Amino acid sequence: MQRSKSLISQALSTLKGNMERTGDPLGFKKNYWTGWTKGLNLPREGETVLLTARMYQMLPYVIQATDMVASVKPILPLLSIKAFSKMFEKAGSMAGEAVLRLKAKGARNVKNKGENVLKGIVSALGKVGEHPAYLYEAEPYSGVLLYDLGLEKHIAPHVKKVYQQLKSSGVKRVITVDPHTTFMLREVFPSYISNYDLEVLHYLELLQGKIEDLKTPAEQKLPKEFVMHDSCVMTRDLGIVEQVRQVIAGLGINLLEPENTRQDTACCGGPVEYAYADLSGKISNIRIQELTTVCKNILVTCPICLINLMKYEKQMDIKVWDIGELLLSACKEKDTKYKER
Amino acid sequence: MKENVNIRETLLKEIAKCRSCRFCVDVCPTYQASTGVESMSAYGRLQIMKYLLNGTLEFDDSLTFCLYSCLQCKRCEIVCKSKGQNLEICKLIQLGRSLLSGKLVEGGKHAKI
Repeated sequence: MQRSKSLISQALSTLKGNMERTGDPLGFKKNYWTGWTKGLNLPREGETVLLTARMYQMLPYVIQATDMVASVKPILPLLSIKAFSKMFEKAGSMAGEAVLRLKAKGARNVKNKGENVLKGIVSALGKVGEHPAYLYEAEPYSGVLLYDLGLEKHIAPHVKKVYQQLKSSGVKRVITVDPHTTFMLREVFPSYISNYDLEVLHYLELLQGKIEDLKTPAEQKLPKEFVMHDSCVMTRDLGIVEQVRQVIAGLGINLLEPENTRQDTACCGGPVEYAYADLSGKISNIRIQELTTVCKNILVTCPICLINLMKYEKQMDIKVWDIGELLLSACKEKDTKYKER
Repeated sequence: MKENVNIRETLLKEIAKCRSCRFCVDVCPTYQASTGVESMSAYGRLQIMKYLLNGTLEFDDSLTFCLYSCLQCKRCEIVCKSKGQNLEICKLIQLGRSLLSGKLVEGGKHAKI
């Protein structure tokens, strides 16, 4: 891969710069992660908080950012490193936020999808008696990109800052919505903080075992069958495998298994899209073929898998769903059913 | 600096435990997508790190691509465990990146290890 050192160097510098300036991986100063809470009246304080870590809210901007990197790549060999560095710096710190925000308006369906996932999770948690608080503007990012890319110097202070922020807000228990944040808070944070005492639970772990409360005739509006695409982090790092299957069974939906599934699941290619879109595309293409030979409705539990597999929706006439969307639909139907009674 | 020396030692010690059975190669999604380039597999990445750390290989564009294209998906670890070795391959690659990333931020294309 030509100029890989420069490409990775720039990606790392941009990420480092963004985190230092704003604490946000995208480098946004203005918050973009609280809009989904409109009308939900989530409390601002509480011992138990829902930590979205901005992952689903970031999706429309991530799509635009990776598109921008991909469009610059063909001219990379023509640019001097100095010119390339300058261009990237400007895009990152000055025009970056405005450009990304403007471009992301075109990805409204992705934004709505992400918001529906989060609403569905909150609705389902409410049905099983969990009413977490939400930190709104103060909600921190987990720092998972810093960790994955080996920015060791920067991960330790970030982790400590996030932990202190949660503790000073009186948080004792964290409910997470995505595998990457769960992994960070459960597996990585304790290695940087002595006496780490936050209880970290993925929402599917809370829904498991209380499934009766969610049982609805959801199949009336949703497809009856889905094929499961397990997330690598969810299954191999966290061991959360059966929980999603139990929740789906509780919704009356038939879940099919592809060739590589559960702990042996195959990656969607998402983690390398920030720099190597071609490679990421080849990996996601292999996986989407495996999934679509089983069913055209694909179920995921991770925001990275969601956007990376969604790219094939039009081309292959398929649909990718996050389990949060199914929960939203199921909870809505349950409410309607009760009202009709 | 002392920390980096410890990371180097840990890496070399852990990589030495690999029995070169290569069962982790076929299951790696980047190897599959690269139609059979072994340096784009878990085993290949461990070898690259070993030879970077002992000075045999020079840190260049192609090695950067190999090391930073790892998905950290841990599919290789499932196979490694099933073959009785149980190396934390992705953690080792992440540790390797932690040696390189600071240098890449500071030095760009001139970064050395």
